[in-house]
Amino acid sequence: MPAIIEMQNLTVRLGNRTILDRLTGALSGHCIGLLGPNGSGKSTLINTLLGFYQPVAGGARIFGKEVQSNLRELRAMIGYMPESDAFIADMSGVRFVRYMAELSGLPRSEAMERAHEAFFYVGLGEARYRKLGTYSLGMKQLAKLAQAIAHGPRLVLLDEPTNGLDPEARVRMLQLVREIRDTGEVTVLISSHLLRDIEECCDQVLILKEGRIAALCNLEEERKANLKFLELEVTQGNGFLESVRGLGCECAAFGAGRVRIILPDNIDLRQIYRTAAAHDVQIRRMNYRRDTLEDIFLKAMAGSQQVSAVPQGSANGRL
Amino acid sequence: MAVYKRTYKAYQGPLTPAWSRFTVLSRYGLSTLFDSRPFTAYTVLCFIPFLVGLVLIYVFNSSTAQAILKIGSDHPIVNKFWFLGFLSVEAWMGFLLAAWGGPGMISKDFANHSVQLYLCRPLSRAEYLLGKASVLGILLSSISWVPALLLFFLQAELQGHGWIWDNLWMAGAIVLSCLIGIAMVSLLSMAVAVWVKWRIAATALMFGVFFILPALGAVISLILRTQWGHVVNFPLMVMIIWAHLFRVHPTNPNATGFDVVPLWAAWASALSLCAICFCLLDRKLRAREVERS
Repeated sequence: MPAIIEMQNLTVRLGNRTILDRLTGALSGHCIGLLGPNGSGKSTLINTLLGFYQPVAGGARIFGKEVQSNLRELRAMIGYMPESDAFIADMSGVRFVRYMAELSGLPRSEAMERAHEAFFYVGLGEARYRKLGTYSLGMKQLAKLAQAIAHGPRLVLLDEPTNGLDPEARVRMLQLVREIRDTGEVTVLISSHLLRDIEECCDQVLILKEGRIAALCNLEEERKANLKFLELEVTQGNGFLESVRGLGCECAAFGAGRVRIILPDNIDLRQIYRTAAAHDVQIRRMNYRRDTLEDIFLKAMAGSQQVSAVPQGSANGRL
Repeated sequence: MAVYKRTYKAYQGPLTPAWSRFTVLSRYGLSTLFDSRPFTAYTVLCFIPFLVGLVLIYVFNSSTAQAILKIGSDHPIVNKFWFLGFLSVEAWMGFLLAAWGGPGMISKDFANHSVQLYLCRPLSRAEYLLGKASVLGILLSSISWVPALLLFFLQAELQGHGWIWDNLWMAGAIVLSCLIGIAMVSLLSMAVAVWVKWRIAATALMFGVFFILPALGAVISLILRTQWGHVVNFPLMVMIIWAHLFRVHPTNPNATGFDVVPLWAAWASALSLCAICFCLLDRKLRAREVERS
């Protein structure tokens, strides 16, 4: 899949502080997650992609176009849902979205049509004539999403879309994001500090730490790799680990009978059972331990070096 | 994104020309202002001087009307003083219109952080300002130089005998003087609105700039025994410029007090106000492109 966003040595400084420090990488996929603790530079990266901040070094490209020199053209292709409240309180929801769609270049009648459709799409159809100032927080978030998609952008930037939402509204918001992603007509970039939001929607994730890339990985490939990731609790048995290694597996013991094994594609689970039986080892517990995004995130936060996308099927270094 | 399908669909249709995007702001701005009935009523009221002017010009040029109304030949002449008077009345009415409608137009965007939503679209800061300023520009033009020019051409038509050629310079003076006033009032109204989010406070501050600042200037002039305190009397500065554009000499009895500061100082004062307002607007807009929660 071609890269949607490319960053080359992207450095952004605000005042005397370096907020984004030499970011280099290519983001692709239908839904890209932007993770990081507060103050790691997620919103600054989004604002730089929107052209609000000028990089002091390097640059970014969206759809192959340099951001700073093609700002107008790119902004027409981008829908943006900001983190903070952003609305005109005494304007009705549908009028507001129509207004924003017209500013993006849609003719009046099309803007009107798509504003209504966007409101129905996000589930606010019945409330579209109410003034935005009277909306609840969840409704305001959905109205912000409606204005971000009404003009039919190719890239939607969502900055903390589930902020302040109750569990039901959060599920609804993430469902909408997945639906938009699954159409394949638009790329969604979500910035969040909530790992579950990213895990539920994204196929690629960029983790930022103190303005640097802490990890850039393909979640789909990680998930595939982790299906072969075994965690066992066994009784002590001499030679068991050596025999497992002999099968071609990578494994490590952690004491108290805990063993982690990476199964290569050609090894069947039954061979592990047979090996255990041969060594008179009881398997007391076995599970496919999934290397969650949380693990990846914590690992990225702990280490300062950049973790790049893991090749498909490989889980080297996971033990 | 068909409603019945409830699925997202990208827009493939035609787009409006990029240069015309600021007109969306003007259209919505005007529509929002005229949603208020008192504002609409006041705008209609602003056309009364124009209607009065129409009647007066007709009466002054019609011997039949003069005979019916029993007006003698000593009626006022429609000349540069007459137009200057007409524009002065409209200028004050226009100021009230701008003080009423101007701040709310921008402060709503700033109060709810929607500026970033405008600027993340293919719309520059300059276009945003142009769009907002054009709302006041259209409103104030429609009650100042546009009716004044109509009256000018009506007078030319009724007077005949080459009146228009003798007074053609006045058409330029009408347009230019009104544009200066409109630029000052619009920029001031917007600048005040971005710094004072509360609409009523913004309107009060506009009155302060136009009424309290001149009083302050007069006090400074009195205490320091100088005339330079008057440079902050912006209504007076505008009148000095207008008087010059209408070729009214300061020694004329109709232009009493217009010689307190030289013409260049009046221009410098007016342009400085515009420049300061523009810088304030630009600075605040730049800062509000990005909102922090």
